[in-house]
Amino acid sequence: MPARRLSTYFLARDLHPAAWWVWALGLATAASRTTNPWLLLTIIAVTCYVVVARRSDAPWAMAFRLYLYLGGFIVLMRVVFRFIFGGAEGSTILVRLPEIPLPAWAAGIRLFGDVSAESLLGGLYDGLRLATMVICLGAANALANPKRLLKAMPPALYEVGTAVIVALSVFPQLAESVIRVRRARRLRGDGAKRFHALRAIIIPVLEDALDRSLQLASSMDSRGYGRAGKIKPAVRLVTGLLMIAGLIGVCVGVYATLDGSTPRFLATPVLAGGLVVALVGFRTAGSRVQRTRYRPDRWHLAEVVTALSGIAVAVVMFATSSVDPTNLNPSLIDLSWPALSWVPLIGVLAGLIPSVLTPPPEPPYASFDDEGDIYAHTGSEVPA
Amino acid sequence: MPARSHFRWLLSTRGRADGRQQHRRGGGVLAVLAVVLLVGAGLLSMPGMPAAAVDQSKGYPGYCKDDKGVTVVVDFGELGGTALVRCNPSTTRGTGLDALKGAGFQIAGTQRWGESFICRIENRPSAQEELPITGNAGYRERCVDTPPTGGYWSYWHAGNNCSWTYSKWGVKNRDFVPGGFEGWSFSLNARTGAGPVPRVAAVRPGTAGQACNAADEPAPSSNDPKQSQQGTGGSQPGGTAPGDDKNSADSTLPAPKPRPLTGDSAPDPSANVEFSGGEDAPDVNQVLKDQSDASDYAPWVAAGVVVLLVLGMWLTGRRRRHARDA
Repeated sequence: MPARRLSTYFLARDLHPAAWWVWALGLATAASRTTNPWLLLTIIAVTCYVVVARRSDAPWAMAFRLYLYLGGFIVLMRVVFRFIFGGAEGSTILVRLPEIPLPAWAAGIRLFGDVSAESLLGGLYDGLRLATMVICLGAANALANPKRLLKAMPPALYEVGTAVIVALSVFPQLAESVIRVRRARRLRGDGAKRFHALRAIIIPVLEDALDRSLQLASSMDSRGYGRAGKIKPAVRLVTGLLMIAGLIGVCVGVYATLDGSTPRFLATPVLAGGLVVALVGFRTAGSRVQRTRYRPDRWHLAEVVTALSGIAVAVVMFATSSVDPTNLNPSLIDLSWPALSWVPLIGVLAGLIPSVLTPPPEPPYASFDDEGDIYAHTGSEVPA
Repeated sequence: MPARSHFRWLLSTRGRADGRQQHRRGGGVLAVLAVVLLVGAGLLSMPGMPAAAVDQSKGYPGYCKDDKGVTVVVDFGELGGTALVRCNPSTTRGTGLDALKGAGFQIAGTQRWGESFICRIENRPSAQEELPITGNAGYRERCVDTPPTGGYWSYWHAGNNCSWTYSKWGVKNRDFVPGGFEGWSFSLNARTGAGPVPRVAAVRPGTAGQACNAADEPAPSSNDPKQSQQGTGGSQPGGTAPGDDKNSADSTLPAPKPRPLTGDSAPDPSANVEFSGGEDAPDVNQVLKDQSDASDYAPWVAAGVVVLLVLGMWLTGRRRRHARDA
């Protein structure tokens, strides 16, 4: 029924969280391959636009601003460090700071001294790259519902996944707490500034975080999370070790594969080894976890489009770095504006597709429309 | 009721009022970015300094005419291309890097080590050039990390009328010898003991036949790649093994044998390969631009796209706020 499929395509619903993660990781991978500021700024703008266009009103979506601040902080620190630890790479000296002499055992470290435009730009480009990757991950956190991501985890990943998702949602939770406490203070007319205000925010936020954790723990407990059942402790230990070792191997392997400057023996061999160990762990874990899933999220066309657009950006950047690599890492020896060619730029713009070709998120309160059905609708279903 | 309150939090829309502010503030940050970009793009269109491949404003082509300056020899070796010989007529002391730059050569350092590790001289090997490195065929120099031992710029020095000596030090950690020579030779799959000696003899015209007198240099005491050359070593800044820390597993090249300097006379200059002063070398920036298909318009388009997206963010945010409030 193509006609019907087309008419339901844009009905408001929340996308499968994994689709957003694939999209965001694609953009982050692309950012990791380049230090060209034009490309990095375009990636940031694309990410921000998609977030603004497609985020929901959930608390985790509101934390995106903090990732932008974090990105700005990273860039700032990178540049400041170039001031502190020697920035005399290159010949365009901007500032001459007095150099602090260090003892012989600290040879190779330099404190202050001449600061050149080239080294500051190097810090800026490098910081911008890391900031872009952080912002991409922030976008994934803002767009994807962490709870539904947990729901979509395969049963084998259930234990590790629970821990990861709880950890992932800490930051958005804290952000939401800060926003809430500040609003409450404003409503009370508490206009105290500076230090007192800081104390008046931090203490309630920490208390709130503690309360939340206890709530989350008890609610998870009541749903059967962390239930050991009738499994022998030894089996659990082996399973846990296998899974953790495997996942660490996968992480190291993926990092080494994506980062061109890491030794190659850390790439494919570690990735493959980690996958094997993790799969063995998953099998033993999955064979004893029995869960049913209520109304599982499905991958529809929009999810595929989103994931593909992220993958496309990464693929274009990988292809360019082997075909036309000159501009991906702009030279800092001659102080000049970084050049840019069309292919990577157009590739990055492919990341904009989800802002148009995905259904908008479900409006708030849609779940409350039919009272009493709160537990069924946590924000994923297409309203009838 | 922990469970219920948990879900209430899930569905919480308490952050809405502040969410509106977030739209505005995020837009503000990006608006500033956009302005910076536009100003930047404007500066970009200003006429820049004309940059020649060899910076003719520094040094002069050919050997040094007296014993004050230092002659810099760049031998592209198996990369192909005419060797370059230029003089840095500096009378003050300086490092090997100063000599190279002062003679007008355009170099690129790796991102990891900066100019302590030179990965390109005159844009060779360029990011597009495939180097037939043994065991790593099709390698391209990205100038991100330490180049492999199979293909790197080796750094040499010599006193006048002396044979070339593989530098034990990194380019920033030794001073050039006034009246002497600095040599750069691309080492491609160099075999043991047969380091790619620059194929231009270290003999200034008119001084042939004179005795060699160059002082020996102390060996570097640390493995800091910023201090010693790769492969004292291997290539420029490098550890004790030939090769960088990354490739040490597959590097089988032992360090070139240290040779006594004094009294080791230079080979006959008549055996020199063909060389030039780089007078008619193409503009490196132009070459880079041609190689990369870079477009003058692409940065403008990127800046324009960012501005449009910021505008779009503001409009979309407003539209969504209105839709929500309705």
